[in-house]
Amino acid sequence: MRNLIEFLQRYLYWLVFLVLEVVSLLSLIRYNSYQGSVAFSTANEAIGSAYKLGSDVVAYFHLGEENAKLEAENEQLRRQLHDREQQLRALTTRPDTLPVAEVETESDYRFVQAQVVGMTLHRSNNLMTIDRGSSDGLRPEMGVVSSSGVVGIVYLTSAHYSIVIPLLNQRSQISCRLRGSEYFGTMQWERGDADVSYVNGIPRHAKVKKGDWVETNGYSDIFPEGIPVGRVQKIGDSADGMAYRLTVKLGADFKTLRNVSVITNYTKPERRQLEERADSLMNL
Amino acid sequence: MALILGVQLLLLNHIHLFGYATPVVLAYLTLTMRRGTSRVAMLLWGFCIGLLYDMASNTMGMAMATCTLLAMLQPVLLKLFAPADAPEDMRPTMRSMGARPYLLYALFTMLLFHIVFYALDAFTLSNWPVTLMAIGCSTVMAFLFVVIVQLLTNSIETSREQKHSRK
Repeated sequence: MRNLIEFLQRYLYWLVFLVLEVVSLLSLIRYNSYQGSVAFSTANEAIGSAYKLGSDVVAYFHLGEENAKLEAENEQLRRQLHDREQQLRALTTRPDTLPVAEVETESDYRFVQAQVVGMTLHRSNNLMTIDRGSSDGLRPEMGVVSSSGVVGIVYLTSAHYSIVIPLLNQRSQISCRLRGSEYFGTMQWERGDADVSYVNGIPRHAKVKKGDWVETNGYSDIFPEGIPVGRVQKIGDSADGMAYRLTVKLGADFKTLRNVSVITNYTKPERRQLEERADSLMNL
Repeated sequence: MALILGVQLLLLNHIHLFGYATPVVLAYLTLTMRRGTSRVAMLLWGFCIGLLYDMASNTMGMAMATCTLLAMLQPVLLKLFAPADAPEDMRPTMRSMGARPYLLYALFTMLLFHIVFYALDAFTLSNWPVTLMAIGCSTVMAFLFVVIVQLLTNSIETSREQKHSRK
């Protein structure tokens, strides 16, 4: 008996070591595959606000850059407004066309503006923290975009912060198409460069040129169709040679990304329900 | 400890040398544990450091596993590199161990840390050149960090001692 106790005392640390390692590895696996607990992530209130403080300071140094970007966007919007006004005028002068109200309700999305307060770029599975949460109307699976393109998808929300799975995550999969055609593929990132990603599954008979725009196709209920994702940088072949594998330069510059918008009213419960029912039918 | 963790999260986590090397200096905290500390205490300490880091950088489990492993191995490494006549309750620093053994000890610890950390991150052997580069660059940077911190604390201690002797 005494020997046993002595033995235990001597080798207790081995036991502790094994227990702690098992706990860590379990949490590594669990956290990565299930919806992790908000408390143990940067969506956690305390850490979130500390990061916000840090990023507020950094934001100050990027004001000039941000200004330039905003101005460019303003300019673009002004041009669009001008175009629309002309279209409107053209339509109203021809009374035999559709009433204008019906034409315009299509793109009625609501956005919530948010700031990026924390982000990694060079892990295999990067995550991003933004300073808006469920109290601002955010829910998991909402789309996140910036002025220059798609950013990612909301993954976890706490009251005031959310974690976003950006395009730079090997688990992120976004259905997209070539602008001006209906050929579509899936965008999936690979570890390495923080400004390119890859689109697989574009059929070989599709016409692709370098510099073509890649945009969302609206097949998922996360992004509306037509939001730019990036431009084709290189055209390659998929592993089995049956399709193209496009290297896409992402529109959103994740290295300097600060202001993003979350699309809060696109996900339609009715469509979601319908798709879930169809899925359950397939599993029978 | 809070200082090291703060520097890590707010500064070093934003370094991405060549696109993928981010130095993690958490191992400095296990590196400096006093010789002869109870091993259970060291393990728990390492675990907590890892937990805090993981919570703040969304890497649940990665740093926890690595820091615990290092806390386990620290006495072995120390025995390997410390001079034979070192006191039983020595706190490993450049002064107490001598520059050469200490630097070897620190380099080895950092290398080990980054190997385990990035291996857990990648979890596969695909894309291993990237992982190897990340390990190499991060280790070198983390090592430089340790040297700088050691030189700083060293000079602070020396000036303190000089003041004492003047009194």
